[in-house]
This record gives sequence, structure tokens and C-alpha cells, in this order.
Amino acid sequence: MTLLELKNVSVHYGRIQAIHDMSFKVDEGEIVSLIGANGAGKTTTMRTVSGLLNPSSGSITFAGQDITRMKAHIRVIRGISQAPEGRGIFPGMTVMENLDMGSYGRKDRSVVANDLERVFDLFPRLKERAKQFGGTMSGGEQQMLAIGRALMSNPKLLLLDEPSMGLAPQFIRQIFKIITEINKQGTTVLLVEQNANQALARAHRAFVLETGEITHSGTGKDLLANPAIKEAYLGVG
Amino acid sequence: MSTTEGPTLIPDDAAAQAMMDREAKMKPRKGWFPGLGEKWNTLSRQKQWLILIVVVVIAYLLPILNPPLITTEPGNNWQIALAQMSVYALVAVGLNVVVGYAGLLDLGYVAFFAVGSYTAAMFTSPDSPYVHIPYLWTLPLAMAITMFFGVMLGVPTLRLRGDYLAIVTLGFGEIVRILATIIPAMKGQVGFQNVGHPPGTDSGGQPIFLNSNGTPWYWLTLTIIILVLLAAGNLERSRVGRAWIAIREDEDAAEIMGVPTFKYKVWAFAIGASVGGLSGALFAGQVGFVNNQKFDIATSILFLAAVVMGGTGNKVGAILGGSLVAYIPLRFTAIAEFKYLIFGAALVLIMIFRPGGILPARQSLLAYGRIAYNKVKALAMKKPGTGQLTTSTGKGAGDE
Repeated sequence: MTLLELKNVSVHYGRIQAIHDMSFKVDEGEIVSLIGANGAGKTTTMRTVSGLLNPSSGSITFAGQDITRMKAHIRVIRGISQAPEGRGIFPGMTVMENLDMGSYGRKDRSVVANDLERVFDLFPRLKERAKQFGGTMSGGEQQMLAIGRALMSNPKLLLLDEPSMGLAPQFIRQIFKIITEINKQGTTVLLVEQNANQALARAHRAFVLETGEITHSGTGKDLLANPAIKEAYLGVG
Repeated sequence: MSTTEGPTLIPDDAAAQAMMDREAKMKPRKGWFPGLGEKWNTLSRQKQWLILIVVVVIAYLLPILNPPLITTEPGNNWQIALAQMSVYALVAVGLNVVVGYAGLLDLGYVAFFAVGSYTAAMFTSPDSPYVHIPYLWTLPLAMAITMFFGVMLGVPTLRLRGDYLAIVTLGFGEIVRILATIIPAMKGQVGFQNVGHPPGTDSGGQPIFLNSNGTPWYWLTLTIIILVLLAAGNLERSRVGRAWIAIREDEDAAEIMGVPTFKYKVWAFAIGASVGGLSGALFAGQVGFVNNQKFDIATSILFLAAVVMGGTGNKVGAILGGSLVAYIPLRFTAIAEFKYLIFGAALVLIMIFRPGGILPARQSLLAYGRIAYNKVKALAMKKPGTGQLTTSTGKGAGDE
């Protein structure tokens, strides 16, 4: 079943068009990756889906409902949650407070404890550091916190913007393993990455973005095997 | 937990983090009151209340005590000085909601102060041709009117960010002052005399609230400050307060957490404005005279300086900053002309040695931290298997 659908979406920053007529679908239960170089429009796409940016034309549908003009904070309640680029954690709040903010929009406070447990199971490190300030944690831990915080709203669709950015290779593998685990628990994941290797290997389907347009699409494995993509994004070929 | 063990041979992530934690711990706190906040928070609830009550009693006794060295006499009447200090403290508390909690830079806060003053003046002064109402009624009325102005200004401008918002608010401050000059009904420089005061006469038949007697005004304002502080404290701990803090820390992140950022920014603006209006009405009553001369940009900057000096985001700091800003030129009359120079220098020094202000904001966040901490604790209690959680976090590095 289609969970998220973008139809002919264009996004402008002032007069500059960042995304041209983009259309793609994310089905329930999938991991979908968007890969591309700097400035290809990956983060713009993410911010448009989460509602921080408004498309200048086109439509976005989520769970059968048009959300093109819906405010970002309402999309969270409907089930779209984002771990933003650069992590966007609240540096002056403790880990626990950050996680608590993640459940801010929820009405069903009674089951929030279950989600907290789920996050602590996925990221035991966060439990150890519950009282530490977000701003004083290492990059990898901040990334864990950003993903954990996004999960606290119990989303249907989790948006991850460059989860591997600035992390040690060892951490990158760990983060991707956890992303797969989150997906297995039933959360659909839309992933934006420069680290094409991992992003393609973990994804059910993937899209390649170039200057605001989708140039290739297919299953993660197909794209991994595609010589043009190998050369452009995987540094081999 | 690795943080409490000795050196690790293999430098894994945990060990690296542990090292960072140890280093962070060893750094001594800079500032004039090292560890004051930590000490305060380790005290029991009862002790905190006891200390607070003593402080409040001393504050109420200040006009009678007239402590030597601290007093502004012989240059300025001490009771009137106290009344003015308390008004500035209230202004700072209100501005702190806007600048400190929600992180919105408001350079035109004096406009709300002015609207409050004019409300009190135009509804009570015999110079005003309009309806006259008892002075005390003008306090809630001033709050309502300034709140309305706050929303009016907030709705179109709060879509702007940072510098743009600062410039628009700066303009708004000027608009109110210029309107007061050019609208005939607001009487420009002539102004309104004999602004009303609360009722009541003493045994000699003299009104209690005289413009020449600061003590009752000080007590009234102090009482209002305490009420506003209690309300602000509750707001801080509520969903609204958490939303403000999140907006201040990262507005985009707050939005994607489900915080209706625009709505809460307007709320911060409206609540801040209403406290500004309230303090303006008190100011008008105490001084007894309102004209367009008092509400210039310099006053706005002075208000902002009070908040920043006290500690942006900390309500107790705001009171301290507000009182100081009023107190210094009154106490040191010889150098009063140089007050902006002095505040400038003081701000630079504070930014160097105590970047968070005299009382940094984290203390005010702690109330929230405590709730979060209790949540973890409750969770750990519920699940016996994770019972060691609280003790391990308690020992862990990076505690408040």
C-alpha cells in the first residue's frame, strides 16, 4: 500500500528552483533511499515531506490524505517524523528531555513509556546518558538521539536526513543496522544519504537525485549493480 | 558503567567519551558564584522554601531597613528608588518571557510599556477627557490592551526570524512613541498629570499611595512580581514552557517535534507584552505623570540589557538585572550621566566572564529536568530488570 506519494512536486527558494517536477512513492514497510551529490535536492525533498518547506506546485499525499499544505507540526501527529540533517537536537536539554520533546504532539501519553523503552532497547547508550546534555555528546550519540527522538512520536514514516554524516565508519555500520531493525519493527523509512553504498545495500528501493530531478530508480540491488551509478556515487567502475 | 572505571587500554568510543566527561568535570566553573545553581538544587524542597521566604521578607522590609551603603540616599529617595527598581524588575521579567524563554529578540519592548502607561493615564488622569475608572481597574485593562497589541504585532511579524524580527520590533517601538507625539488625544509632551492611584487613606486622612511616597508602590509592585513569578514558574514547567525552550534552542527541530511554533511564539509575545503593559501602568501610577519623553529606544535597549545582564531565560536573573539597571544610576548619581557607558562596559565584562548572565538560564530549566528525571525513575521502578538505571545515571558524568 502506498504510504507517501509525491506528484510533480517543485520547490523554489525564492527564484531558484531546487526541485523540478519530482514524483515518487514510498510503500508501507519499505526502506527507500534517496542518494545524490551535494546540492542535488536531497535535504530539500526531506524538508518538503516533513513540511518545513512548501512546494510551489505539485501535491503530497500521505496515507491517502492530501498533506500538501499541512503544517509540519500536524504532520508529526499524522505520523511523519524526521531526524533532521545535522541532527537538530536541543543542546541545552538532557537526553531525556530531548526524547520527551519527541513525544510532544502526542495525545496518547499513556503508551509513550512503551516507545521510550523501544528507543532505549535500540540505543542502550541513550539510557546510560539519560541525564547528559544533548550538546555535550559525541556525534554518533547525537545521531542516535536524533533518531530516537524521532521515534518517540511513534511514526508511520521515519525521515532520516544523512544519518551517517560526520560519523566514524564503525558507527555508520551500526546506525544502518539499527535503521534496518527499526524498519523490521514496522516503521517505513525514507532515507537520504551521500553514503550510497550503505544506503543502497539497506534499501528496498532507491532513487538517484541529480540537480533536483530523479535520474535513476530501481531496487537497491539493481542500482548497486548499475555501472553508471557505480562510477558516479560508489567511487568504482 | 565505563565512566567510573580506570583507564581503558583499547580506545573505543565509550572510553573516548569517558575521557571527555572526565575532562568536562575537572574544569572549574568560572564566575562570581561558582556552583550556586548546583548547591541550590541539592537542597531539599523545604529548605528552598525557607530560604525563599526569608528572601521575600527581607525584600518587603527593604524600604524600612534603608540599609547603609546600599541605600541611594542622600542623592535619591530610597523608597522611590525601590519603587522604580521594582517596576524595572517587572519589565525584565516580562521581557524575559519573550527574549529568554522563546528566544525572540524584541528591541521595541518599550512600546508595550508605553501602551500600559498611557492606558493608566488616559483612564484616570483629570487631563483626559475620556471615561474615568478606578486606578486598580487599569492594571488588568492595561494587560488586556497590551496583550491585544502583542498579538497584533506578533501575527504578521513572527513569521520573520532573528534579525528581521528585531528590526520590525524596533520600528514598532518608534511607531508608538511617534503616535503619542502626533495624535492630539495623547497630548505629546504636555502629557497627563495626576495619574490615578489605588484607594485608601491613612489615619491622618492622607492617601496611602502618594507619588512622593515610594513604599506602598514598592510593596504593591513587589507583590505583583511575586504573583507574576509564580505564574511564570508554572508556565515554564508546562507544555508551553517546554515548547518555548525548544523553539529557543532550535525552531525547525521544535516544529518537527510537533510544536506549533508560530502559535507559541505569538503566545510568548502576548504574555510578555501584557506584563510590559502591567509594569507601564504601575510606572504611570507611581510617577503620576505620563508624556512621550520616557519611551525612547534607549529605554528599550536598557530593558534588554537588564535581561541579558541578569541571565537570559532566568526569571530570578531578570529581577536582578532589572533592579540593577534602575539602581546603578540612582545610587551613583555622580556617574548617572554615564549610565549607558557603564552598562555597556558591564555587559562586555559579563559576556566575557559569565556568558550566560549573572544567573544563567539552566537553573530555570531544571524544574523541567526534574520532571524528566522522575519519569526515568518511574520507568525504572516499574521494570525491576532495569532498576540499576537510576543509580548508574546518578553516578554518571554530565549530571547537572
